[in-house]
Amino acid sequence: MFKVVGIPAKRALPSKEASLFKELLTLYETRQLKKGQKTADQILKKFPEHGETLCMKGLVLTHMGKREEGIDLVKKGMRFDLTSHICWHVFGLIQKGEKNYEEALKSYTQALRFDKDNLNILRDAAQLQTQLRLYDGLVETRHTLLKLRPTLRQHWIALAVAHHLNGNLTEARKTLEHYERMLKNVPDYDVENSETLLYHIQLLVEMGEFTDALSILDVSAKSRAIVDRTAIMETRAHLLTKLGSEEAEDAWRVLVEHNPDCYDYYRGYLSNRGISLGTPSTDALTILRDFSTQIPRAMAPRRMALSIATRDDFRELVKPYIIAGLTKGVPSLFADIKALYRDDSKRKTVEEIVEAAMKDFSPDSSTPSSSSAEVEPTTYLWTLYFLAQHYSYLSQPDRALSILDLALSHTPTLPELHTCKARTLKRAGDLFGAARCLDEARLLDGQDRFLNTKAAKYLLRAGMNDEASGIFGLFTKKEAASPGADLEDMQSMLYLIEEADSQYRNGKLNLALKRYINITKIFSEIEDDQYDFHGYNLRKFTINIYTKLLKWEDKLRSHPAYIHAALSASRIYVAVHDDPSIATASSLSTNLTEAEKKAKKKAKKAAQKVQEDNKKTNEDKGLDVPTPKDEDPEGLKLLGVSDPLEQASKLLAPLRTLAPKNIDVWISLYDVSIRRKKLLQAVKALNHAKSLDRDHPELHVRLIDLRQRASALPQTPPPPIGSLFTESLANLLPEEVSLETYNSQYLQRHSDSASALLAVAKAAQLLKAPADEVEATIFATLGNSVNLTIKMASTMIRFLSTIKSPRLEEFQAACDAKYPLSTMFKPAAEQTLLSKQVLSRPAEANKVEDTT
Amino acid sequence: MNVRPLRIDDLLGMQACNLQNLPENYTMKYYLYHAMTWPSLSYVAEDNKGRIVGYILAKMEEDKAENEEPHGHVTSISVLRSYRRLGLAKKLMVQSQQAMANIYGASYVSLHVRKSNRAALGLYRDSLGFTVKDIEKRYYADGEDAYAMHLLLKSNI
Repeated sequence: MFKVVGIPAKRALPSKEASLFKELLTLYETRQLKKGQKTADQILKKFPEHGETLCMKGLVLTHMGKREEGIDLVKKGMRFDLTSHICWHVFGLIQKGEKNYEEALKSYTQALRFDKDNLNILRDAAQLQTQLRLYDGLVETRHTLLKLRPTLRQHWIALAVAHHLNGNLTEARKTLEHYERMLKNVPDYDVENSETLLYHIQLLVEMGEFTDALSILDVSAKSRAIVDRTAIMETRAHLLTKLGSEEAEDAWRVLVEHNPDCYDYYRGYLSNRGISLGTPSTDALTILRDFSTQIPRAMAPRRMALSIATRDDFRELVKPYIIAGLTKGVPSLFADIKALYRDDSKRKTVEEIVEAAMKDFSPDSSTPSSSSAEVEPTTYLWTLYFLAQHYSYLSQPDRALSILDLALSHTPTLPELHTCKARTLKRAGDLFGAARCLDEARLLDGQDRFLNTKAAKYLLRAGMNDEASGIFGLFTKKEAASPGADLEDMQSMLYLIEEADSQYRNGKLNLALKRYINITKIFSEIEDDQYDFHGYNLRKFTINIYTKLLKWEDKLRSHPAYIHAALSASRIYVAVHDDPSIATASSLSTNLTEAEKKAKKKAKKAAQKVQEDNKKTNEDKGLDVPTPKDEDPEGLKLLGVSDPLEQASKLLAPLRTLAPKNIDVWISLYDVSIRRKKLLQAVKALNHAKSLDRDHPELHVRLIDLRQRASALPQTPPPPIGSLFTESLANLLPEEVSLETYNSQYLQRHSDSASALLAVAKAAQLLKAPADEVEATIFATLGNSVNLTIKMASTMIRFLSTIKSPRLEEFQAACDAKYPLSTMFKPAAEQTLLSKQVLSRPAEANKVEDTT
Repeated sequence: MNVRPLRIDDLLGMQACNLQNLPENYTMKYYLYHAMTWPSLSYVAEDNKGRIVGYILAKMEEDKAENEEPHGHVTSISVLRSYRRLGLAKKLMVQSQQAMANIYGASYVSLHVRKSNRAALGLYRDSLGFTVKDIEKRYYADGEDAYAMHLLLKSNI
């Protein structure tokens, strides 16, 4: 991949060494690392200051896993020869391996100064430019590559893509058309050509050139130049619809017949007829009914019809749908149907139908219906299962549990009944009972990872992290340092979020933060993942999916897991900023549990093994920085970081543009900005929050916080910030109102909302109101007019605990009485006792595990 | 459930579905590799909230002899336990197989299954029509053997 050009005096080698150097380059390219090292040493013996050789040796050593030594040599080599393209190229490769794309590109740019036509360097530079979204530069690089090798097909496509990414669709189109004109002898059924044509069509669609797009599509489909039939049909239907063609309807119908389970095709068909599925429509219903008759096996039109049908139509359609599902024993039937409950009359209809079915299917039914003779006993069971889920969902746990008891006495071995019971108990706040029921479900089918994951998740919900780890471990790799380590390597967001939230609730902020940061790291990994595809997809000609990849990567962090992790981590960072003793307290209280000790030991062993492996040198380790040994498994260093606010700010930054509708994002941005003394950013964040929900409880607290902090400023900030800030502040919260009045006005407006009452209490606390006043506000949430959920009740308890209220236990006892099923408000000793019962069961139950 | 071709923003949901349900797991890069190389072979099933409840991750066999006919391979197929008995696995498989035959001229499709995984074996053999062609010793990382299964595809549609 390297070639030797130019001959400055200090670089020139005598012919023997010169040919050794050429050999070194070949050895590197074929990754004969040990030989490469020896060859380099031979040169260096005579010419110890030969920069290019030093760099190449450093590169070889880095590949062999001797990273530090290698990089030192590269840097040394650079100092001896700053005008060598080889030295700069090597340096760029090392930086790219460190994912330092900006610096790597700078090195490549230097390398190109000394060898402007080097294909390898140009190609790598193009990949870096794409990764960094520097599309102007990318167009230039692709142009150069094309000029150097115009016969290489991918160079044409690459230039078209570069123009496209740079927003110059016209040039992209011209380039593609030029390319297509010079193509000769395309073999039949050529997938690469097919993909290129589909890309060409997509480009025209983006330009709004629907007629041209359609004509290329039709010609290429007919000649079989495009081989992807689904893509042809989909593109055609979209284009014909956009063009208002009569043929559109037929095109959608063809798609429906091709895949009658795809909702998009029905939507396309209906929307082409001017019908949107959002509103009830008799036309739509007729069409969907016709499809159901024509394609009896298709479930989609039947289910879609349920969403738009009303009253008698609905009753008539939903009954056979439900009865069929119960008869077949479809476990997801309720999950499918409950989406219809947004319409209360539909919920009632469903309830009536299934209640009647239960009576009908019951083995001791006194009035056997005409069909009941053929009813399977399992149908009755699935009916009970449906009804239990129904009442659980509607917050009637008692009714749900009594139905489940009936079902379980009928068939104790159906895992779904146990998972349903678990979920019902979880909703009612009995986290230990829920975990126990899910574990019973798991034991009924030990080979099923779905049940295993759920069981472990429920243990985490109950705060039993060690036990959860044991359960997860039944399916994770045995050689992993711990079950959690394997799940982290496999990028399991579910595990990391549940584990982090659980540690957060347990008050172990260091471990919670560690996991939240792990989640954000997965997103960085996925962002890095795209790098190789900047070259790969061009070689494969799969361009449509590639341009989608780039768009997806650009908005990757809008994923709920990232938002949750970033917000939670940011809250922890703000908390340690406000009270650094949290970090010191965590490091003192880190008493490892038995399971944690075991995991630590195993992790140490695994790390040793990696190091030993590294000693066997000839193997190519690549240039990417290997995952370093985790020096901070407890997250204590993370929690004790010197710049928590800067860390939080970095995590939140992408959310400004990726989650602008999420009010929590703006609240967190405020919390961080105001503490970083970024006054304008802080008021801007609150303005955003206000535009989303002017009465949001957390916003209310922040407005009071802002005014307080503003009046505590030693002086008005300098212009132009000062006046802007004062003005925004006055707009957010009128100056003439006292904060106490403002708080009580808010209370009057929202006295029946638990979250608003909490906000009023928090604000009163900020305003240094008497403790009994703050407490009284919290106790008001127990009133009958307030809908206090179990989750909110726990939040209240956490608040009472942070203000060290003497009435904490009193509130807890009141909640315990209010939620008789819940275990969350029991005294700590009782909770410990309950947790011990979760995984202990009579010997009989254990036998089931042995047989699976 | 909505059964449709894979879109790029399904990949995280697909990975989550796999991790929750199956013991063979992959990092995102491997999912990306499939999508970037064979963008039309993988399919997903989603519920009415847009959650991925089932998927098929498929590819064409790359290590084949020169005179060998092209064939497809199912890297992973899975339907969440709570979404079984809807025939989703079959629907996903049928769509993917049609694409393999139609785009790449695949003559058959192959897959591997753990010898101990009776439930999956039953699905592939009885519901989907696969037959056991071979046993691959110690195919899995933990040393377990795999059944190599095949299904002939009718014709290049």
